[in-house]
Amino acid sequence: MQTQLKFERQERDENHIQLKVIGDVTIHTSPRMREELKPFFTGSMQEIRVVLDGVDFMDSSGIATLVEGLQWSRLTGGRFILSGLRDNVRDVFALAKLDTVFEIEQFGQGLSGNEESPA
Amino acid sequence: MTADNCVQDVSFPECKSADVGKLSLQLNCNSDCVYILRAIVAVMAARAGLDKMRSNRVSIAVDELFANILAHAYGGKAGRVEFETCIDHSAQNGCELSFSFRDYAALGWLGSIEEAAACVTDVDDLCPGGLGLKLIYSVSDRCEHEVLSDGNRWRLIFHLNDEEHDSEGSDEHACAAYSHDEQGKGEF
Repeated sequence: MQTQLKFERQERDENHIQLKVIGDVTIHTSPRMREELKPFFTGSMQEIRVVLDGVDFMDSSGIATLVEGLQWSRLTGGRFILSGLRDNVRDVFALAKLDTVFEIEQFGQGLSGNEESPA
Repeated sequence: MTADNCVQDVSFPECKSADVGKLSLQLNCNSDCVYILRAIVAVMAARAGLDKMRSNRVSIAVDELFANILAHAYGGKAGRVEFETCIDHSAQNGCELSFSFRDYAALGWLGSIEEAAACVTDVDDLCPGGLGLKLIYSVSDRCEHEVLSDGNRWRLIFHLNDEEHDSEGSDEHACAAYSHDEQGKGEF
């Protein structure tokens, strides 16, 4: 159980970015994820991938933040992809009936083109 | 402060009182308290013999209910919350794992949980708190809400099947006779 979130950012170029989230996303930490995500939605970004294989727990505040990301991506254009969801997190998306709304990759291709390893 | 410092464990196998197996604590409402609650849920889920997926679902429901109290009852400000959990082997519907919250918020919540939870998830129009209630509704067997003169009382109930509460890791001694006044209680 981690009370703080960590982020690892990887950029292929100025239009493609990957953000790896590490920790538990709760009402306590989701504002930090929002802060980290929001600057990416500039209109010039073609692809934003959020890698969640380091997240073992996510509640509705985290999902709501990702829904905001999806809404921003629709406004600014570009793909918004969720990648590497663990079973616990995928289950919450399914319970919220949002698992078909997002573009979700289980073990997606990272920006480098390497296969991401499962958690 | 660690979670252990906040937990009052009154689980004594030899004790015959109604408090056997009950964990209770008093919180000063703050968002970081979700981690304390999750630690307690993990203990109770292990006692109840829940598997990882169900344990996570119980954690989600407790987390969401606390977050709703924090965000909507207290409006993000500090407030007192009393929390209790127990496994009741003598419940009317068989063995149950229950969690109760008591807040002292000036605002009593008068909405319909069922209606909020039943609304279709519209990505373009997600209402605050609606998603949390939907999750609570989908994973718990029952959620009761009672508006009091000085706050609210909430209770989440999860039915335990025979396999769960008879499993090796479960704690039969965690059983407590849990009685409560049904009057004025909302239920979904």
